[in-house]
Amino acid sequence: MAAMAKAMQPAHAGELEDPRENLLYDPRPRSEMNDMVMDAMQTAGWKFWVVTIVLALFVLIGLFGVWGYLILNGMGVAGVTRPIYWGAFLVDVVFWIGISHAGAFVSALLRVFKTGFHHAITRVAEFMAVFGIIQAGLSVFFHMGRVWLFYWMIPIPNERGIWPDFHSPLMWDFMAITTYMIVSTLYLILPLIPDLAMARDRSTGWRKKLYRILALGFRGTEGDWKHLRAAIKIFSFAMIPVMVSVTTVVSWDFALATRAGWSSTVFGPFFVIGAFHSGVAALVVILVLIRSTMKNMKYFIRPETLDALGKLMLIISMVWAYFYFNDYMVPWYGGDSLERLVLKFHETGPFAWMFYSMLIFNAVIPWALLWNKKIRRMPWVMFTIGLLIVVGMWFERFLIVPGTLTISTDPFTWRVYQISWVEISLTLGTLAFFALLYLIVSRFLPFISPWEVQEGQASHTIRKVGKATLPSASEID
Amino acid sequence: MSDATTLLALFQDVDPAADAIEKLREMGLSNDQMNVVSGIPFQEEILGRPIVRTHVPRIALGGAIAGFAIAVFLIWGVPLLYPLYVGGQPMFPIPPLLVLGFELIMLGMLTSAFLGVFIDSRFPSYEPALYAPEVSDGKIALFFDCPADKQVKFKEAMKSLGAESVRMVEAQEL
Repeated sequence: MAAMAKAMQPAHAGELEDPRENLLYDPRPRSEMNDMVMDAMQTAGWKFWVVTIVLALFVLIGLFGVWGYLILNGMGVAGVTRPIYWGAFLVDVVFWIGISHAGAFVSALLRVFKTGFHHAITRVAEFMAVFGIIQAGLSVFFHMGRVWLFYWMIPIPNERGIWPDFHSPLMWDFMAITTYMIVSTLYLILPLIPDLAMARDRSTGWRKKLYRILALGFRGTEGDWKHLRAAIKIFSFAMIPVMVSVTTVVSWDFALATRAGWSSTVFGPFFVIGAFHSGVAALVVILVLIRSTMKNMKYFIRPETLDALGKLMLIISMVWAYFYFNDYMVPWYGGDSLERLVLKFHETGPFAWMFYSMLIFNAVIPWALLWNKKIRRMPWVMFTIGLLIVVGMWFERFLIVPGTLTISTDPFTWRVYQISWVEISLTLGTLAFFALLYLIVSRFLPFISPWEVQEGQASHTIRKVGKATLPSASEID
Repeated sequence: MSDATTLLALFQDVDPAADAIEKLREMGLSNDQMNVVSGIPFQEEILGRPIVRTHVPRIALGGAIAGFAIAVFLIWGVPLLYPLYVGGQPMFPIPPLLVLGFELIMLGMLTSAFLGVFIDSRFPSYEPALYAPEVSDGKIALFFDCPADKQVKFKEAMKSLGAESVRMVEAQEL
């Protein structure tokens, strides 16, 4: 608390920051930077392996074991029943899609605008996109019930004599998520190739063989760079509308149904900003964890990175609140009895604690704290704020899905959703699987892209202007 | 140039590398007889090299067109083959075509852009190639063909312009 109170004190007027606080103005020799990244991949203490084994066991039992139990016993062991056919699994789908989408979106947006602080965080965000969409895909399969018939969604001729109806929003959803899963994976791979070539040059034994295969023969010729950069540029621009479109299509799963609480024209942008809110918060949480637990990461992930992301979180929080209020105001003013009942159920029903927690976590806390620069530069405070937003956004999705389905046009079916232990276990299982993937990959693939960091450092210099030293940037790519 | 060998000059910085390329041109080498390998990308203008053409955008465009064609087939072609009447909705609607069309244009464009890198760069390639592992430590490698009888002259020219080392190289396993 003392540190927080100290942080609230205003900075001295006219105080100039040292540009070397910024990664791009604090260069190190390339070989040293490469060694730092390689060292981070190859160094792990016993705590790392304990956490990895615990998570792996939980994933094995709590995720795949319980999923097997669900498959054997049917959807009856989940908490879903009339009128709430969409429960925690669908909450998890929307939640993980949000986390995933923001990963690619943040990476692409920061690359397009050449923000300067993106060099050290794009890779972590791209991993988040791929690992998040894996959890979303798994959650769809949990929800399917008869998961072995999943191929009915794929447009291949079959014995039924019909194809999927592509006029249905659920099929758009399937196509959009499949599209996103493929392109976010490709978007992760492209900028990774030069780093794999670097790892190939600095490895021996089985690692050398692995990286030699994965680096595909990349040498860094003028042609190699030109083609790679052209593709990365296309991806960076295209990933932004792809993310917006896919999140919007997911929102239409709800908004195109004539259902109180869902049939909203603002759901598309509301889901987009919600994805962004949860995703940037999750990114901050992951960055702080990586910075604190992995060797050499403090050089790359700095307080100024968290500061920049903190500003982004504050703005997103305000935009999220704006859309939430829009989504609230119109049905409230419209006076439709079912819409009013849904709102009242959220505010005073058994999930009211989620409703108010959501508002506090997603808006009140970010607004109260993130305006302060010193707080934005405190890793563990940022970690806590990020974690609260992630939880708040899960609550928001919970209220949208089972929290809204309670109120239907048939009052005799109204029922309060009770989440089952199967759903809790699978929800936590996806979280554990997400973390486990990060842990496993941290041993093989670099979380930082040294070539991008050095490219950024090559275009940023410090020059003397009068008595002051000021940062200066130019474009070399 | 039948008895030509390949020399590798390694530079720490961009400026001497750019000067060396210019010098090689003055000494009679064409752009095709040189190749630059670096650990980070540089615009061709920085090193005074000719613009490298890339087909990636065109390949991506082709993928986008193919993606749209698939979307048209799924939205309009499927109802022709398997008519399914749902709630009085039109069989050949435009709004769903826009939704699926956009997704498949993007899917086609981006997968093609990805494959375009493989096609243009001839990935994967595990054959021996001219390479200097020092480039991943930040060095700029300049490979150039050199007449066997002028090796000394070329080496001296490169060293005088700041090359850290100049040596004869052959294709090697990466």
